[in-house]
Amino acid sequence: MKIAYSWLCEYLENPPAADELIAKMNRIGLKVEGTEKTGPQFTGVVAAKILAIEQHPNADKLHIVTVDHGSGTQKLVCGAQNIAVGQTVPLARLGAKLPGGTLKKAKIRGVESEGMLCSCSELGVPGDPSGILMLPSETPLGTDVLTLYPKGELVMEVEILPNQGHVLSHYALARELSIFYGYKLKEPKGLEPGNAGSAGLKVQIHAADLCRRYVAIAMRNARNAITPDWMAERLSAIGVNPKGNVLVDGSNYVMFELGQPLHCFDADCLKDGTDGKEINVRRAAAGEKFIALDKQEYGLSQEMLVIADSEKPAAIAGVMGGLNSAVSEKTENIIIEAACFDQASVRRTSKALSLKSDSSYRFERGTDPEMAMRAALRFAALIKQAAPSAEITALIDSYAQPYKAKAVKVSAASLNRILGTQVSNETVYECLHAFQPDLPQGNGEWLFMPPSFRPDMLKNCDIAEELARFIGYDAIPSESNMPMIKSAIAPDYAVAANLRYCFAVLGFNEIYNHGFLSAKEAEACGVKPEDCLQVINPLSSDLQYLRPSLVAGALRTFAFNMNHDRDHAHIFEIGTVYRKDGTEEMRCCGLVYGAPNESSWAMKVPASSFYALKGALASFLGRKPGFRYEKPQKAPSYYEQGLCLEMKVGRDSLGFMGQLSASACKIMDVKESNVYYFELSIPVLAAMWKKEFWQEVHKMKPVSAFPSSWRDLSFTIDEKHEWAAIEKAFGGVKDLAKVKLTDVFKGKNVPAGQRSLTVRFVFSSMEKTLTDEEISSRLKGVLEKLERKFGAKLRE
Amino acid sequence: MTPEEWKGKLSAIKDSFSSLISEKKADYEALYQRFLGRKGELSLLLRDLKDITAEERKNLGMLGNAAKQELLSAAEKIKAAAAAHSAKAAPQIDITLPGINFPKGSLHPLTQTMDRISAAFLKLGFSLEDGPLVEDDWHCFEALNFPECHPARDMQDTFYVNAKDEKGKDKLLRTQTSTVQIRVMEKQNPPLRVFHPGRVFRNEAVDASHAFAFHQVEGLYVDKGVTMADLKWTVDAFMKDLFGSSVRTRFNPSYFPFVEPGAEVDMSCVFCKGQAEHCPVCKGTGWLELLGSGMVHPNVLRACGHDPEIWSGFAFGCGIERFAMLLYGISDMRMFFENDFRLLEQVR
Repeated sequence: MKIAYSWLCEYLENPPAADELIAKMNRIGLKVEGTEKTGPQFTGVVAAKILAIEQHPNADKLHIVTVDHGSGTQKLVCGAQNIAVGQTVPLARLGAKLPGGTLKKAKIRGVESEGMLCSCSELGVPGDPSGILMLPSETPLGTDVLTLYPKGELVMEVEILPNQGHVLSHYALARELSIFYGYKLKEPKGLEPGNAGSAGLKVQIHAADLCRRYVAIAMRNARNAITPDWMAERLSAIGVNPKGNVLVDGSNYVMFELGQPLHCFDADCLKDGTDGKEINVRRAAAGEKFIALDKQEYGLSQEMLVIADSEKPAAIAGVMGGLNSAVSEKTENIIIEAACFDQASVRRTSKALSLKSDSSYRFERGTDPEMAMRAALRFAALIKQAAPSAEITALIDSYAQPYKAKAVKVSAASLNRILGTQVSNETVYECLHAFQPDLPQGNGEWLFMPPSFRPDMLKNCDIAEELARFIGYDAIPSESNMPMIKSAIAPDYAVAANLRYCFAVLGFNEIYNHGFLSAKEAEACGVKPEDCLQVINPLSSDLQYLRPSLVAGALRTFAFNMNHDRDHAHIFEIGTVYRKDGTEEMRCCGLVYGAPNESSWAMKVPASSFYALKGALASFLGRKPGFRYEKPQKAPSYYEQGLCLEMKVGRDSLGFMGQLSASACKIMDVKESNVYYFELSIPVLAAMWKKEFWQEVHKMKPVSAFPSSWRDLSFTIDEKHEWAAIEKAFGGVKDLAKVKLTDVFKGKNVPAGQRSLTVRFVFSSMEKTLTDEEISSRLKGVLEKLERKFGAKLRE
Repeated sequence: MTPEEWKGKLSAIKDSFSSLISEKKADYEALYQRFLGRKGELSLLLRDLKDITAEERKNLGMLGNAAKQELLSAAEKIKAAAAAHSAKAAPQIDITLPGINFPKGSLHPLTQTMDRISAAFLKLGFSLEDGPLVEDDWHCFEALNFPECHPARDMQDTFYVNAKDEKGKDKLLRTQTSTVQIRVMEKQNPPLRVFHPGRVFRNEAVDASHAFAFHQVEGLYVDKGVTMADLKWTVDAFMKDLFGSSVRTRFNPSYFPFVEPGAEVDMSCVFCKGQAEHCPVCKGTGWLELLGSGMVHPNVLRACGHDPEIWSGFAFGCGIERFAMLLYGISDMRMFFENDFRLLEQVR
């Protein structure tokens, strides 16, 4: 909200300087976000007459000009072409402050210049920027040119929070300052209503729940009410374009002055009822059409409140007036409206119609019902100032239930209990008294009656905030005797943190995706868009679906970086995926492509494979007893068929890992193949975590004091036998400490359809060093089993 | 041999050893053999001790052994020096060639920031709580004292999704982490001290300082007799933990529907210490606006079934991106979801 400093000061006796005012406003939460000065900013420029113009000796396009500035003459160099002897022009004297800087003595092409004739743009004023500005010839020489322009205003931009309906005008802000800082308030003057009756005017409130008060004032002879300059200047300063007609500008002016939205109907455009003019405050009829002042047609519905004449709506209550009853230069007779409409109703209507106005802004935040009559009479006074023949012909105040404050029981102790302060009874009283001048002294306890402009002061906490503003938030001590308390971390977060560090250590970069997908990206997740949770009001159709899997984001990140000079990627993300029913799950995904780190001069780093990812995951998931990979019954469709494994612990599935399918990559514009990916469920993993860390810790097994021995066996075996099956054959061998597959080979000297496996068997006994014979006898069983079950043949 | 003769010999051996060792060409092997080897002069002399009376032998033996140690260590030094000298002559590698890369991962700057913030909360006894991103109107607004038709709702433009809550209203993507206040207070009785860092969503056009998905953290403390002084102390301790003990905090009146009184908290600018007129971070004001806070509104306690006459509390929170942008010198919020490795790898 824009607030003009001088305008605000009009309502304060002995107002503070601008800087002090701003500091005081900030202290009570009326945040001044910025200031600007309107109008020309220059100083040191006076009116001068051109006495003579000579050619500059060293420059064709320059002149040496002699001017009279009222208290003497001087010479200067000027390059403008529109000057002539006898003209009155603005002369910037040495030391003048112009928008472009301070004027100093200068030598121009060898000639001293002791001043400058100014153009509009040099002065920062509107007008033709080419050539020197011409002043009216009757301007006395030596006049400060600044005084020829309207006085500039200091305009403050005040941040308004949704609970600050009570400061939405200059007067209301002044009132706030008077409450908190004791300034004496000056009241703007309204027109004396005289003894105007209600003849020829009728106000009927048909929806009392939506309209608390309706003040209508009929005036006649309001023609040619031209907006005075001071009003136009103030409105311009706060960014409102004056229309020149006080019937329009005045209603705006009073709204920004007192906070009460006003409307002015051209009475002659309202259809008469049986007893003259009729104002009906009623709900709109279903489907009723209305053309507002913005010349748009709006379809109304039954929950919207309108102001209607005897026939049709003339305004959408609190939102906007109608084109059919708008005032114009021809308007003679008017009806002024100052009402108090229901906050929620105005808000609903304004939202439903997508139509906002300064009025609806104020009504939504709550207006003071007690202000309506004052504002209407103030507007009438401004009209009468501009058009002295104007007079009130009728005045109606429909106010069935006048404001009655709801008493709040307040005690200094309860306020201190909230703030943690020891504010004295006297100070608390001082604060409450500023809001309620008739509050009796009391002794630490009061029945406080909030003023009509502060219906939000309902509870002790509300009043505590006002007290805090009164004493200053800085006066609240910073001290605590909070008890010690044990803290814990939610299991999903603990597991997520653990995974993050595991992956970072393994060389993965963590990524964050926002999780909003296009239909195409949803397809990449292997889910039909209609089976995804959808945003009803998305920012764009590309951001309509909520991710059912993290894979689209990982691929998007991958593609982005491949397009930015990368040839490898190891990334992971921890994020939420969504299901169609609105439930969600935290997941961890990762994507690997190419080498885990850059090759160097000394070593070429091989690309990560399916097995690299399999091993990386097992390196820490394998710590869970019972962790294993299984061939999945059904895998997500973004994996290549047959190149996917399920990660399991017991019966629980943690998720899947494998090679991403060509089709998923294609959807996400990924050109690379051999992209490997995994995604696992954090809650499933977290559920496996024991509650206490010590239950998670593995007990150590003793190691042998005797040296271990190993044997390598190479055998050929039919390719149809998978390693997982072969490995099982090594179970139950005594003292076999470790089996390690050291080579897999196909080709030379290996029959077609077979492969050669080299396996290292490590034996270790707790009791002794095993002899050759003992090892051979233990291996014999293994060999027999390999031969019998798989037809394996030992290689020489 | 008399003890005196023996001593004389010892001293002669020491003299000749020291004159030899000070020579430039002194050689360890030769010295060792001549003096300390099995048939070395000193070894032989020590063996001669057997002919000397037992009482004298003890004294002389000590002298002799001390001399042996002395010679030995002097000889070792020569050896070490010689070894160092000969190593220098060995074939050299270019030790300035770059090292071999090891895989090095990185945590996202938001994770790093959130971890720091979480640590600060945990130290103050706040427990990290979880909460859903897809929420209902009750937890996101109603219970947090955002009345249905109140302009406070304009503070947060909301995304709605095509799933219904229990009341048949459209579910939504939460606009604030304050939802977790309600979630926790509905299932736990005070006293409680919890915080929740997480993602929130706003239906807002994206630019350098606005995102439709971003992160917040929020702390809540409810107990008997909690005051605004407790809040001030806690926030101050929290900020000092994050930015150092010289940081100061300042409270100003503000408004959030779920607290009353409400306050926003500024931190003294750590970047210029309030000294730079043109500080690009605080714009010369000396203060950075970082947190929102206040005393839990009685309506919120009541909505969760707790009696505000008995319990009171405070809440405070902030945007994670704002912190991360300050810490890492990031000027555009869009960077956080861009996942450009060239940026991510700078903040390992």
